[in-house]
Formats: sequence, C-alpha cells, structure tokens
Amino acid sequence: MEKVIEIQQLNKSYGMNEVLKNIGFSVHHGEVVTIIGSSGSGKSTLLRCINLLEIPSGGEIHYRGRNILDGSHHIPSYRKKLGMVFQQFNLFENHNVLNNCMVGQIKVLKRSKAEAEQTARKYLKVVGMEAYINAKPKQLSGGQKQRVAIARALSMEPDVLLFDEPTSALDPEMVGEVLKVMKELAHSGLTMLIVTHEMDFAREVSDRVVFMDKGVIAEEGTPEQMFSRPKQERTREFLKRTFVEHDRA
Amino acid sequence: MSLEWIVKIVEENWQMFLRGAGMTLLISLVGTVIGAVIGLLAGVIRTIPTPGRAAQRIMLKSANLLLTVYIEVFRGTPMIVQAVVIYYGSAMAFDFNMNVLTAAFIVVSVNTGAYMAEIVRGGILSVDKGQFEAAHAIGMTHMQMMANIVLPQVIRNILPATGNQFVINIKDTSVLNVISVSELYFLTKSVAGNNFRYFESFFVACVIYFVMTFTVTRILRYFEKRLDGSKSYEMEPAR
Repeated sequence: MEKVIEIQQLNKSYGMNEVLKNIGFSVHHGEVVTIIGSSGSGKSTLLRCINLLEIPSGGEIHYRGRNILDGSHHIPSYRKKLGMVFQQFNLFENHNVLNNCMVGQIKVLKRSKAEAEQTARKYLKVVGMEAYINAKPKQLSGGQKQRVAIARALSMEPDVLLFDEPTSALDPEMVGEVLKVMKELAHSGLTMLIVTHEMDFAREVSDRVVFMDKGVIAEEGTPEQMFSRPKQERTREFLKRTFVEHDRA
Repeated sequence: MSLEWIVKIVEENWQMFLRGAGMTLLISLVGTVIGAVIGLLAGVIRTIPTPGRAAQRIMLKSANLLLTVYIEVFRGTPMIVQAVVIYYGSAMAFDFNMNVLTAAFIVVSVNTGAYMAEIVRGGILSVDKGQFEAAHAIGMTHMQMMANIVLPQVIRNILPATGNQFVINIKDTSVLNVISVSELYFLTKSVAGNNFRYFESFFVACVIYFVMTFTVTRILRYFEKRLDGSKSYEMEPAR
C-alpha cells in the first residue's frame, strides 16, 4: 500500500524544551492509525506538525513521496489535502452550519456554489446534521459542533483526516455520538490519523496503534498486540493507569 | 429674554444651521467610513505572518514601520493642528490650493484611520486562535482567511468602537473651523456674530449636536442587533 504520509527524524522544540525527538512513522493509504499516550507526551504536537500548524524544528515530512518541508511547496495547497478536526471544534463563528462546510470548497477548491452545497449536504447527512444547516455554531451542543466539524473536513474530500482529541472537550454523554460517526468513517476506508484518549475506541477501529511517551514513539503495533501483549514496560504502565481510571469511572 | 431670542435665531437662521449640520454629518460619515477602511487595511497588513523569503520580509518590515509612524504621529497630535498643517502645508509644499472640503475629508479620514488601525488590531487579536487554525488547516491563504473568516468577525467586534469614533468625529469636526470649513460650529459662530447672541446661537448648536450623536448611536445599535441575527433557526425538513 502506498504511503500517504511518511515522517523522518522529526524534531520539535520550544526553546530548550524538546517536545518531539526523532519521530519516524508513516500512514498508509486506507489505514486508521491512532496515537495514544499521556498528556504532554507530544501526540497533539506531532499531529499539528503534520499539517504545519506547528513548524517542525527539524526532520522531513513526506506527502505522497514529496518532502513538503524543502521550501518549494505551497503550504496552503498541501494543507487542503489534509482534513483536520480539532479538540475545540473551531467552527467558523460567522457562518452557519451549511456555509461552514461550503466556504473552504468554494474559496480553496474553487468549486461552484451548487456543487459545494451538494457536497456539504451529503456529508452533513453522513454525520446526521443535515437538519441543522441554518443553525449558527453558537446554537449547537458540543457533540453537534464536532459532527459539523467532521462534515466540514469531509466536504474538502481530503486524502487523510487528522483528529486531534476530538472527544476530549465533550460532555460524557456526547462522546458516543461523535465516536459513532468516526467508527463509520473508519470502516468506510478513509485514511485517518487519530490522537485520542478513548482506549476502547482505539482498540476497535485502529489498524495500528502508536504509543508516545516523553516525545518519542515508545511502541507501535496492531491493537491486539498493543493492548493485550505490550512489549515495553512503559506501555504496560500507561495502559494499566488508563484502565484503572477507566474502571473507577 | 433668551428664549425669545432662541426662537428668533432659529426662525431666521434655520437654513444656516441645517446646512452646517449637514456638512458636519457628511464630513464625519465620510471620515469614519474611509478611516475604517484604512484601519482594516492597516490591521490586515500588520497581522501578516513573517514570510520566509528575505525580500518579502524586508518589504513587510518597511510597511509595518511606515504604518507605525503614521499611527503614532496622527494619534499623538491634535486634529486641529493636523488640519492647519495639511491644508496650508499642501499649499506651500506643492503650490496647490486644496479645496477646503477635500482637506476636511483627508484630515478626518487619516486621523480616524490611525485610531481605527489600533481598534482593528485589537479586534483581530480578540478573534479566537482556533478560527485562524481552522482556516489554515482547510487550506486558506492569509488573505482568504482574513476576507472570509476573520474580518467578518472583526467588523462585528469593532462596531461599537467604530460607532464611538463616528460620534467623536461629529463633535470633533468642529475644529475644522480653523480652515474655514462651513460645518456647524463655523456657521454658528457667524450666526452668533451677526446677531451678537452667543449663548442663544450656541445653545441651538448644542441641541443639534446632541440630536445627531444620539440618533447615530441608536442607528448603530440597531445595526449591531441585525448583524447578530435571530436567536433561533429553522430546522431543515428531512428528505
């Protein structure tokens, strides 16, 4: 399978503080990869480096074989190939639900208004928000906002979808509706890279799980291998901590 | 008796007052609108991220420096002085006699622009960082992001401050009498002089100024409400 994204020796530091150290990994076409790890392990930073919301301090990011950090690439044209779903939703506050899913298509992809509307409606239906097209983001609940944000990303018909802790800012009863949509997407063959704290979800949908600890990839493997027989001591520790908290809740 | 004089002055000079009020409104409206456009442009330029290429970086640095000088100079000097300097200065420097009305428009616009640039900068800073990230992540360029996502939110945010600037302009255009612009203060002075009735004439001007500023405030409040849109929304029927 073709590698969509390949990262080599990626580093990111803020001053003396090294957040990512020599990261190397890749995402293949049609693969669902989840990144797990405790807070501050660098998972979100890694995701944000991939679409250059954070500029890496060193290393290479290859998108379909081309190094996009070599300075010759138009960054907005690269970013439109990657969809991003944020922890804080970040819906465009000045647009209603439908326009949130249309503005990128019209301005960035130069689609006609009619085509953009058709595409937007199609994906709003996928996430079950087609009835709310006239609502403004402020009028929606967290779970609804996140589903619209997913539809907005899908409307751009990206090559890869990046999810940055998409359920971490949600009330517990809304986590389910968002995970349900994401599971459907994962099974539909989309290429997805997901940073998450939802272990059951990661176990269920991932083709591969990456465990990050203190800015490095400590271990990666199939969900079966990672959750049932982790090789590294720190992976075991992390999973034990997480599932103890989980059981207590 | 003053009251009789007020009535008499209004009866005999209402056309003058009306003309002055009209001129005051025209200058402050044009000045505020052009000033707001200057402010928006300055705000957009001042928030462009530092480009990678050296040549572009130098250009952006110089543009920012010029804007800073402009803002500091026009915020740091009184408009009455700016009016005299621009009106008589242009005549001396370019040997060109500017129409007073043109000079008035320039002075008020450029002065307002300096204040609006700071108001817009504040407005852009107050837009949530997530909005910028989402626009970038979807593949928008700086200009696309500004035009479609950020500025519409900035304009809503700065509307109260812009209204305030408009009200300030209605009152402060009175300083343009130093270059003989026939606005309300200038014409009131001549009415007062002709009748030797200062209190009564300026009392009338006072009422007119207040009516203008109050009306403008109300109209802007109405616009703010309309921009916010309705609190409810229509559900789309399933199909």
